Amino acid sequence: MRAIRYALILLSLVVPAISLAQTPVPYERIVKSDSEPANWLTYGGNYYDQRFSGLKQLTPQNVGGLKLAWAYQPSRPAGNVETSPIIVDGIMYVTEPPSTVTALDAHNGAKLWTWSPVMHNVVAIGLFQTNRGVAVMDNRVYVATLDAHLVALDAKSGAVLWNTVVADNKLGYAITGPPLAIDGKVMIGTGGSEAAVRGLLDCYDAKTGKRLWRIWTVPLQGEPGSETWGNSVPAGGTTWNAAAYDPKLNLVYWGTGNPAPDWNGDERPGANLYTCALLAIDPDAGKVKWYFQFSPHETHDWDASEPPVLFDDVINGKPRKLVGFANRNAFYYVLDRESGEFITGMPYAKQTWAKGLDAKGQPIVLPDTGPSPEGNLVFPSITGAINWTSNSYSPLTKLFYVDTREMGSYFVKGTSTKWEMGKFPMGAGGERALSGDDAYGAIRALEATTGKMKWEFRLHSPSWVGTLATAGGLVFSGTDEGNFFALDAESGKPLWEIYLGSSLRSNPVTYAVDGKQYVFVTAGTTYFVFGLP
Amino acid sequence: MSAIRPLCVAAVMLALPGLGRITLEAQVPRDPTPVVAKTSPADIAAGKVLYEATCSKCHGLDGGGSDGPSLQGVAERLGDEAVGNIIRGGIPGTGMNGFGSLSVDETGQVVGYLRTLGRTADAEVAKGDPGKGKAVYESSGCTGCHIVDGSGGGVGPELTRVGSMRGPSYLRATLLTPGAILPKEAGAMERGRFTQFLFVHVVTKDGHSFEGTRVYEDSFTIEIKDAAGKFHGFKKLDLQKLEKLPGRSVMPSFKGTLSDTQLDDLVAYLASLKGTPTP
Repeated sequence: MRAIRYALILLSLVVPAISLAQTPVPYERIVKSDSEPANWLTYGGNYYDQRFSGLKQLTPQNVGGLKLAWAYQPSRPAGNVETSPIIVDGIMYVTEPPSTVTALDAHNGAKLWTWSPVMHNVVAIGLFQTNRGVAVMDNRVYVATLDAHLVALDAKSGAVLWNTVVADNKLGYAITGPPLAIDGKVMIGTGGSEAAVRGLLDCYDAKTGKRLWRIWTVPLQGEPGSETWGNSVPAGGTTWNAAAYDPKLNLVYWGTGNPAPDWNGDERPGANLYTCALLAIDPDAGKVKWYFQFSPHETHDWDASEPPVLFDDVINGKPRKLVGFANRNAFYYVLDRESGEFITGMPYAKQTWAKGLDAKGQPIVLPDTGPSPEGNLVFPSITGAINWTSNSYSPLTKLFYVDTREMGSYFVKGTSTKWEMGKFPMGAGGERALSGDDAYGAIRALEATTGKMKWEFRLHSPSWVGTLATAGGLVFSGTDEGNFFALDAESGKPLWEIYLGSSLRSNPVTYAVDGKQYVFVTAGTTYFVFGLP
Repeated sequence: MSAIRPLCVAAVMLALPGLGRITLEAQVPRDPTPVVAKTSPADIAAGKVLYEATCSKCHGLDGGGSDGPSLQGVAERLGDEAVGNIIRGGIPGTGMNGFGSLSVDETGQVVGYLRTLGRTADAEVAKGDPGKGKAVYESSGCTGCHIVDGSGGGVGPELTRVGSMRGPSYLRATLLTPGAILPKEAGAMERGRFTQFLFVHVVTKDGHSFEGTRVYEDSFTIEIKDAAGKFHGFKKLDLQKLEKLPGRSVMPSFKGTLSDTQLDDLVAYLASLKGTPTP
């Protein structure tokens, strides 16, 4: 007993005043994440991927008083910083480029542990050497690496619990997106469509790392669906961004990327299933329950990889379970997330490629809007009306906040459709973007059930920063020039702004420790946290 | 026997417009044959094909930058060999993979093509006398606003390498009608590439008027440099008027103030300013 007492006294001397509870995060806790707004438990804040926080301490009245609380800088970041952290009981789990995970004390930014994979001669084609975030469940932190491994780390120490190869990086498979951890399972997708890999989506046992199932997003020649590819070898349809999950329906929603090669579809006549689509997956069976293809036979690199956002509302007097999707192709879609039924869709940014959507949500494509040898001006640009950044949805305003890119491109059709897995598709084309003073960005608030724009806040240039909505009535986002700002969620009026000196390239999040609300974002290679003094 | 070729690391100072000066470590083949730009029309055509297949996805079809940085003017600043080393060896820790499968000759063709990017299309050959043009330059007040090889004033753009990026027609048009043709800044990731030297007129809410060249702008702020080289910064919310006036310039026109011969000589002098690679 005496020994224990001495140990406790000793511990009280060395343990800092801040105590970090480090409680585990069982699946059931993540399902109810909205009940603990101080924490940010998944990539998108909750399984619905709404990026909405119930925190109310910051309001339109006081947000002007935000000041820097702390900043963190990785020792030697190699690539873009695009991380979106997870915060659990005072500990923040961030990633650093290319595939490092670091645990920080969310009170002050102190580094608690860090883990980096050993990677050699990584193949990264058509993507940034970055990592956008982890998943946390039970006492484990899950991260996927640029060389296409999925790794489980001990949340208390960063020690590797298991490390599984998802796919062969030498073929061009590379991972920058976050895993999705649900009951007993971890799901992960990959990038690599520009390397002409065959898209896949994997599910692993959360405890052991053993693969439970794999869904190929494009068929082999001769398999069902291959009739939508002509005589070509189906390729692309990668799953490189974040997903959403409905625990009651037990369906996972995951978007797929472009067919390969990108800008010359001559050799792949047909819809090219399941590229540029949203897949609804039964995670127990490992089967696609339904799919909705946004851009059949895509030739502009408009991946449907944007994180889907789930919400419920009443349409025509009937309660509906919905998924909102602001697509890179400049249309906003509302689907029934139980059946995949198209409910409505309309452009949320300038687009010149489609007359509109038909009754089933399929685009009525205008003639001569594909890439041409000399370059064909089409809106939006190759990077799309939005790219990888996340939208937010506020159940209070019922608005969908989109970081919109208003830019066109001269799309150039390549002369060759030859490609080899693991290498750039040779001569397949590209773009000359209409950027600079010819382009701009905007934070747009859309009525979530219709897509109708309620307000916009214009930005000097198209940005690469997601939006965060809060119950305090705020929307946070940033600019490519380096501004971090807060808008009034109802009106879009600017309320606070600070210049951070370099491009923001992440999705902001908010959390609270010791009863105080903070806001996180990155700019350049620095991680910033702001709070009221 | 390992098939992996031994590599060594060389530090390269890379100054890219808009990105400032950054140090990059290029992986360089241990025993490289120095890459020299191959600039015959056939080589440039071959370099274009290689560039479009290998480089354009990240650096843009015109080399102006896309996911990767702008390459316009990179060979002029770094030299052919350094650029060739980066192409063949890559830059560790960045998105720049090495393209070791390209031969030295092919790399030279790519560098030759890079040297053509970002130049204003200009078939005109300067017909004046560069030596006399230098005298015109010095007697016409140009040195008050422009720096060449370390001498002059910093109100306007430095002209040390202007001849490697701008042809005689462009130079002549700018001397006669400054602001008529404005270049785009370099950019990366579809960003930047804003019009350079854009003339801006602002009026603050308390009625003060300012005009000058835009040097910085974001969603909340604009900074201008006036004709005296003084910087002025404004919060956009504090302005009652913000006018962007392409076609105007803080630089005076030399129409009517120089003879045709003097103009030809001045154009020839400016076209001769090619600078030297950064040491």
